[in-house]
Amino acid sequence: MRKFFTLFVEYGTLLLFVLYCSIAFLFIRLEQDDVQGTLHNGGLEFSAAINEQLMQFSSLFTLKRENERLMRVNTDLLSRVLTLETSALDERSRKKILADTTFNASGFIMARVVDRKFSDRENMLVIDAGWRKGVKKDMTVLVPEGLVGRVTAVSENYARVMPVIHPDFKVIAVADSCGSMGILSWSGGREFIAQIEHIPISSRIKLNERLVTSDFSTFSIRGIPVGRVVRMKPDNLFYDVDVRLAVDFSNLTLVLVAPLKINQEKISIMGDETPTINKKSH
Amino acid sequence: MTKKIYLSLLFLCIISLVQKFSLSHITLFDVSADAVTIFLAFIAVTTNQKTNTSFGFAAGVLTGLLTGNVGLNMLARTVGSFVAGYFNVPKESHATPKQKSRRFYAAVIVAGLCTNAILSVGDNPLGFSPGYRIVVFGFLESLFNLILAIILNWLFLRQSLAN
Repeated sequence: MRKFFTLFVEYGTLLLFVLYCSIAFLFIRLEQDDVQGTLHNGGLEFSAAINEQLMQFSSLFTLKRENERLMRVNTDLLSRVLTLETSALDERSRKKILADTTFNASGFIMARVVDRKFSDRENMLVIDAGWRKGVKKDMTVLVPEGLVGRVTAVSENYARVMPVIHPDFKVIAVADSCGSMGILSWSGGREFIAQIEHIPISSRIKLNERLVTSDFSTFSIRGIPVGRVVRMKPDNLFYDVDVRLAVDFSNLTLVLVAPLKINQEKISIMGDETPTINKKSH
Repeated sequence: MTKKIYLSLLFLCIISLVQKFSLSHITLFDVSADAVTIFLAFIAVTTNQKTNTSFGFAAGVLTGLLTGNVGLNMLARTVGSFVAGYFNVPKESHATPKQKSRRFYAAVIVAGLCTNAILSVGDNPLGFSPGYRIVVFGFLESLFNLILAIILNWLFLRQSLAN
């Protein structure tokens, strides 16, 4: 022990120097490690973690308000999405109609179906075009796929359409290849099946034959597709024919209203028959 | 003795401040004289090596706090002071004032070189090579220190060294 103290006294200066140098090296090391920065960052992370926990805890109290706010945001977003989707759908339908090359749609009036009443007996459509847009009674309503119906009533901005699938609707249809004619009507039931009457048994009409409107019709322009023959059953004098309609009435959005075709001269030469035609046009 | 040590510590503080805020701005070839080294050399010559090493450590702490590089300054000043301690003139010696002055100058040069070498190795704000820093800057700083030490010795320290 005494030797140790003797050594310490003897080499005191050197030991002190070594001690000071060690402290200096320690400081250098601490400076290189950026202790202050580490402590600062650690403190920051610690306080941030505490704050986060507190925020989470306090958010429980404002949960109801937050939910209401999110509901408002959701409602707003939903309405925007619906508006945009509807607009996109309308635009697609409009483009589809305008892109159809089978007929010139430039003279036609475009309208949107705004209301409908479908049942197995009484069907009716309302379109958003009235006499202000030039729509008149007895105008033909159609889509590129085929005949939709006939305008039966017109107001300033709306018009009521009697569709093909109405028991009172009748139109003369002609077979595309053989030219056989008959009166197309719908007798209720399935909305995509109509019947054709007065096609003689001698006719060369075949299954899957396409039917279009003819010039005989008092309201419709000719050549509008009506449907295809899906069933033929011979009777005594005439065929009992079922037609699958060309138009899918379940997804009608945009329609075209064809200009009025009624020829005054034709009506006058038909004489007494005219009132009948106006009342129940073919 | 204690009073002398406290007085010396006060002087050390003042000199460190003067060095930091005035002398370090008077540069030639990016080198300035170091009054702290001169003071430590003076302490080394007039007191013993142990006291001087402690003063060097204290000076390192002070200059380190002022420059923001505590560890390196502590090491450099401690080493410089320790080395300068070998030029100590014992009280019972019969050295003439001229001999004491020479030892003081030698202590200034050696302490300056050691301090500068360590600071140059550890801190390189100008991006020079270590050899260039140690040789050129060390030589220039020692030269400036010597000139300043001669001036101070001639003006103030001569009497103290003689006593």
